[in-house]
Order: sequence, then structure tokens, then C-alpha cells
Amino acid sequence: MRYICTRCGYVYDPEKGDPLNNIPPGVEFEDLPEGWVCPLCYAEPEHFDPLD
Amino acid sequence: MKASVASLYQAVELNQEIPPLLIGERCNPNGSKAFKEALLAEDWDACLKIALDQEARGAQVLDLCVAYAGRDETADMVQLTKLFAGSCKVPLVFDSTSPDTLEQVLPLYPGRAIINSINLEDGGANLERICKLAKKYGAAVIALTINLEGMALTCAKKVAVAKEIYALAVDTYGLRPQDLLFDLLTFTVGSGDESMRDAAIETLNAIEQVKKELPGVGFTLGISNISFGLRPAARKVLNSVFLHQAVEVGLNTAIVDAAKVLPYATISDEDRNVCFDLLFNRSPDALMTFIEHFEQAADVEEDGDDTGMLAEETLRHKVLKGDKEGLDDLLTGLRGRWQPLDIINNLLVPAMREVGDLFGRGELLLPFVLQSAEVMKQSVGLLEPYMEKLSDEGRTSILLATVAGDVHDIGKNLVDIILSNNGYKVHNIGIKVPAEEIIAKAGELDVDVVGLSGLLVKSALLMKENLAQFQAAEMSQPVLLGGAALTKKFVAQDCAPNYQNAVVYCMDAFAGLKAIREFEAGTLHSTTWEEKQVAINKPGPQQEVLDRSHPVPEVPFMGRRLVDDIDAEKLFAYLNQAALFRGRWGYRRGKMAKEEYEALNQNTVIPLYNRLKEQALNEGWLEPKLVYGYFNCYSREETLVVRSETGDKLFPFPRQTGSPGLCIADYFRNEAEGGDKVGFFVVTIGDQLSRITHELYASDSYHDYLMLHGLGVELTDALAEYWHEKMRIEMGIQHDGGDMEAYVAQGYQGSRYGFGYPACPDLEAHLPIFELLRPEEIQVSLTESYEMVPEMTTSAIIAHHPQAKYFAV
Repeated sequence: MRYICTRCGYVYDPEKGDPLNNIPPGVEFEDLPEGWVCPLCYAEPEHFDPLD
Repeated sequence: MKASVASLYQAVELNQEIPPLLIGERCNPNGSKAFKEALLAEDWDACLKIALDQEARGAQVLDLCVAYAGRDETADMVQLTKLFAGSCKVPLVFDSTSPDTLEQVLPLYPGRAIINSINLEDGGANLERICKLAKKYGAAVIALTINLEGMALTCAKKVAVAKEIYALAVDTYGLRPQDLLFDLLTFTVGSGDESMRDAAIETLNAIEQVKKELPGVGFTLGISNISFGLRPAARKVLNSVFLHQAVEVGLNTAIVDAAKVLPYATISDEDRNVCFDLLFNRSPDALMTFIEHFEQAADVEEDGDDTGMLAEETLRHKVLKGDKEGLDDLLTGLRGRWQPLDIINNLLVPAMREVGDLFGRGELLLPFVLQSAEVMKQSVGLLEPYMEKLSDEGRTSILLATVAGDVHDIGKNLVDIILSNNGYKVHNIGIKVPAEEIIAKAGELDVDVVGLSGLLVKSALLMKENLAQFQAAEMSQPVLLGGAALTKKFVAQDCAPNYQNAVVYCMDAFAGLKAIREFEAGTLHSTTWEEKQVAINKPGPQQEVLDRSHPVPEVPFMGRRLVDDIDAEKLFAYLNQAALFRGRWGYRRGKMAKEEYEALNQNTVIPLYNRLKEQALNEGWLEPKLVYGYFNCYSREETLVVRSETGDKLFPFPRQTGSPGLCIADYFRNEAEGGDKVGFFVVTIGDQLSRITHELYASDSYHDYLMLHGLGVELTDALAEYWHEKMRIEMGIQHDGGDMEAYVAQGYQGSRYGFGYPACPDLEAHLPIFELLRPEEIQVSLTESYEMVPEMTTSAIIAHHPQAKYFAV
């Protein structure tokens, strides 16, 4: 399930991971490590909303 | 052919099998607060809702009146006629005495309408014009028995004026008797005015007589006029009894609130008799008896589709659903068995608490929370006249302030809304408040808790300093801190140690509410933070080698330009809808199923957005303007030196302490490399929208306040996005028409950095920006914290370097 940052619109796609934060593909949003923030605007995970 | 009127959809006979024909009265700014507010806000859909609601509750015809001092009656009438004509099943009554207005709307109506009204108070000039219009368009006409002497009070006068009007309307202007509906006027028997004791009798006798002497004509009455001045519950009964009597003598139509008509059969003999005594002036103290009788009787208010629910349950329901409909009557009914203060403390406050809990569980979204709060606020407002002034004794009180140099207040105001609607006493002392004033006010108002708010990084630092000052001043209150730049860690490690009382981080209004409750329970303590194993790099580019050998773009001009002819509509294409709907507005999907969220979007969010967009554009609330420019520059270590006609301006940028040690200045060539070019802008959508949002807040329109503020903030970002694109095209590093969706993730060359944001948090850079760009010419100024005013303004430095991306220092 993709998640969208409600502050800046960045979309976390588990199939792509998050290279800017050294997150490999295949990591579900819920499994992102403690301390992970939006790579674009640094919003914490609580600001993310399920997309689809 | 039976006398009928018609809408686009159906014909309705004036003489119903079971009279009277009910004409709904609520679409009238002079009679309905809800309609008045909708009209003044030009919320046409809300006006329609009131019409449809009456249809649902039994109105067979609808009266439509829009006459309001200062407004264009014709324009409003045309607007609503067009809307109602297609959307209302029942026929309309055009409630206007202006022939000009009627002349415009009658041709628009695809049915047979009734005109309300004609009379002889001007001797007959208007009557002539309106009768001719009625003849031309085939409308029926309500005629009031008013002539040059004024309103006809006695039976004899009423009959006389009716005949005068009949002679003109029928004999001179060619209307048929059945096209006339006489309103023989009724006056209240509830005022105690001696001269009015026979008011009902005069009216009833007049109806009987006119029916006999002018065969074929119809009748109508503004029924509720008979009971003006009495308590609502009592009025309902009196109106219903009077209506019954009037129908008995020949009344065939009546202008009423259809939801408030009681079937005669349901009225007890006792109630009927008390009404008869009053209506027929059967005893000298009939009025006193009437009033006493209805004072003691148990008040059971029924609220249309809430029939079957206890009033208490209905009130809770209304709070939860954010439904203000019928609140006045509901509360009136409840006051029959509750003290007003108890209604607040035992019914309303628990309901709001439930709202908060639902929000906390993600089952209620913020916009709906605000609608609930509006119901709460309105309820308290309706109860206040019946209470001793709400004693502040024993109520926990909170002082709220946005710190010095900061103008942002949406968060603080939301806290105000939530706390005050949960029964707390809130002293909201506004924005840009220095520590000295906070200390003084906290003492003067003897508050229990202090709340500080601020958006900027600078404000977070100020809060830390303020706490030291509070400590020195020996303040004793716990302090709650809120603001986008704050973190638990910062509050725990940097702020709490400065102050001996509790210092608590509150991430939103509900966290603030929780903190207040903990304070009351004696369990409030400072925020703490534990260092966790964080296996994460700082987000942002991870590369370390910057290559500055790519060409420096050409720019179309050097220096600064002002642009104020921007088409506001264009901005909407650049607006980040996810950030607006889910972020600012709070319409998150959360735990909702996909279909449910889709439905929410289709039915609520998108129509709301379209309505606001249209309103903002039509009302001219958006005044986008900007100053921008290109300058020669070179980097020197962490400073960017910008050359201009007024000398060199220095922009020192912070460098990341950890790897990869990024700094904005690195994206520009240094002197030895030949220097570079830099772009800057300051963009604003003006202060109109900000002013309007504050008006909404001041008038307790919490939901619309949040919506419009959010729209304004995102449109400002949209303007920045739009202009950044413009500048990339001007610099030749992008060709027209980029992929808007890609912009979110910086899918373009280079980067813009807003001052105050993570890569350049120091707002002092606004000083040289102001020297370069002179934004005073677009009415932008700086606070003492170098924050820009108006609120909906943003600035940026534009780097073209292909490796430039967002990062945080």
C-alpha cells in the first residue's frame, strides 16, 4: 500500500523504497525504521495517509 | 378547471381536499436566521437545502423572499429562481412587492407561480403593474388588505379594502376571482395589547364575510403572526388551533413553517380551550392563563425525522453530526426540564468529549469536528440569555498566545475552538506576543495554564528563551508548546530544563485538550524524550561530490521585476490537492476502505473545493503578485555573495554537520570558477483571503475558517510552484509544460529553497532579499522576527544546479 505525505504530497511506494533514506524496495510503510521521515519535507510518519 | 399552481414537475390545487394548502415560509431572510446567513454568504446551495427541507416536512408550495437591505433583490431572486425552478418539486410563491423584480423572475419560471403580494398602500400604482404582470404570465396573486390608511385592523375595514382591490384586479385588470388570495391580515393576541384582544375574531369574521361577498376568491394568512411574542412551544399550539378555526371559516391556504403545524386532532381539549379563550377574547385574563398553562405543561419537542428520540439524545446526535437544524427549538424544549448550565455540562460537554474521542480514534475527521464545535458554540450562545453569566469560578482557564515575531495562528485558533467548546475558559491574546506581556497577562487573568504557539523555527527558539524568562519571573503555571517546528526532543531537551513547572509538547489541539485534563487530574508532567537507535541518515541527497562544470544558464534580464497581472485561476493547476485535502483540511483516509474514501471525496471534499474555488475567484479574494529577479553571484565558503546595483548582499547558509555536509552555497560557482547566477522571488496572494478567514473565525464559522485558510496557504505554495516553473523556463533549463505531478518530488532541474525551511532556517536572510527585491511594492513587510506579512506570502532562492535538492541541516 502506497502512502502519501499530507504535508508535501510525496508518495512512499513500497515497490520503490526510498533511496534518499537508504530504504530498499519491498519495505512496507508500517515496517519503516524508527526515525524515518519524509525525504522531501521531513514530516514524521504520523503525517502520512494511505493512498492505495 | 380547478384553481391550481404548478412547478416544472407538478400541479398543485389551491383548494386541497384537506385544507389548508401549506406554503412554507422559511425561505425568507426576515423570518429565518439560517436562510439569512445563507443568503448573505451567497451560499445558494444552503438556500436550496432550506427549501428542500421544507418540502420534506410537508410544505406544498414554497414562499421565496430575498429582500434584504443593501442587497440587489432582483439579482438574488433571479439567482434563486433559476436554482429552485429546476430543483424544487413544489410550486413557488414570489415574495416581493417590487414590480421590477417580479418582471425579471416571472418569465424565468417554468410553471404557474403565486405573487406575494399586492396592496393599496401607495394608492394602486404598484398594484396596477403587478396585476398586469400577473395577467401576462398567468400568475396567482396574494392581496394584503392595506390601503393609504394603513393595515386594516377591523373586519369592516378588511372587507372594504378587499373589495377595493377586487374591483381593480378583476374588473379593471382582468384577473379572475380564483387568481386572488386575500391575506386579510392577522395580528398577535400574545402581546397583552388591549386593543388587539379581538385581533383573531376580526380576521376570522372577515374571512367569512369576504368569502360570501366575493365568491370565487381564495385566502391566505401568515398564521404565526397570531402568536408573536409567546414561547415557541406555546406558539405551535396556538397557531395550529387558530389555523383550524380559520380553515373552518374558509381559509384555503396558509403561510406556515410546515414542520411546526400540529394536527388538530392531537391537541388536547384542555389546550384547545385555553387557546379558544385567548383567541375569542372569552375572559379578561385569558392571556395570563394561556401563558401559565403552557409554562407548566411538559415540553416535548419533536424534531421531524428525530421523532422517537428523546430530546437529550437528539442534542447529542446533533453535536456528533454537526447538525444545527432546529437547535433553537430543541434547546427551548430541553430548558423545560433542565437548567441551561446543566444542559451545557451534562449534555453538550460530554457530547464534545465523545467527538474528541472519535477524532482520536480516527473515526471522525477534523472538518467534522469543527462542525460539531459550531453546534456546541451555537448551543451555548442560545442558552446564554437564560443563564446567569457563566461563572469563571472553578473553570480551568488557559492563556493562548503566538510568540513574538510570528503571525501564524491557525493552530492556536484551533486550540481555542476545541478548548472553549469543551467548557474551558480561553484567553486568546493573539499573535506576536512578547514574553513580558505573556507573563503580565498570565498574572492579571490568573490563568491555570499557558499555551504558546508558533510556526517558525525562530519561534521554537523563542519559546525556549521565553521559558527562562518565565522562570525568572517566578511564573507558576504549566506551559504547553505547539508549533510545526517543534519536536518532542527539542521540547524535552531544550525547553523543559529552563522552567521548573511542567513544559509539555502538544502536537495538536486534542493533545492540548488531553494535557488540560491531565492538569486537572494532577497528572500533568513535562515531556520527556528517549534517544532511540536511529539507523537513518538525514534525508536528502547522499552524494558528496558536487560537479559545478555544467553551464550557467542565460537569464532574460538582470535585476528585479514586479509582476501583478497573474491570472489567479492558473494557480489552481499547481495546487497540491493531497496536501490541501488530507493535510490542511484533515480529510484523511485513515482506516477507511477505498470506496468509502472515494465517496467522501466525491460527495464532500471535491464539491467543497469547487465551491471555494469558485467563490474565491468570483469574489476576487485572490490577488497574486510577486517580485523576482536574477543576479550575478559567487559562493565563498558557506556564503553566497550576490551582486546588485545597491552593492553586494551576503547570504550565509548553514552546513550540515553530519555527512554529506551539504550547504546551499555549494550549488553556486565560486569566484575562481567564474561566478554564477541566482534567482530569488517573493510571492504573495495578498491579504484579502487572510482577512476573510479571520472574519470567519470571529463569526465562529470554524469549519469554513479552516477550509479557507488551508486553501490560501496551499495556493501560496501553488503560486511559488508556478513561478519557479516560469523561471526555469526563462533560464532555459526546462521547456514548457512540465509534469505537475513530478514537481512534488522535484522532478525538474535545480531546487528552490524557502527561507525558514530546513535547508536555510534563518529568516534573517529576508533582510538582503528585501534589499534586492523591494517587496514593499507588493505590500509585503517583515515582522521583527523577519517573518513576512501578509501571512500568505513565501520567498525562495532558486538554484539551477542539477544536483540541488531539498535537504535539512
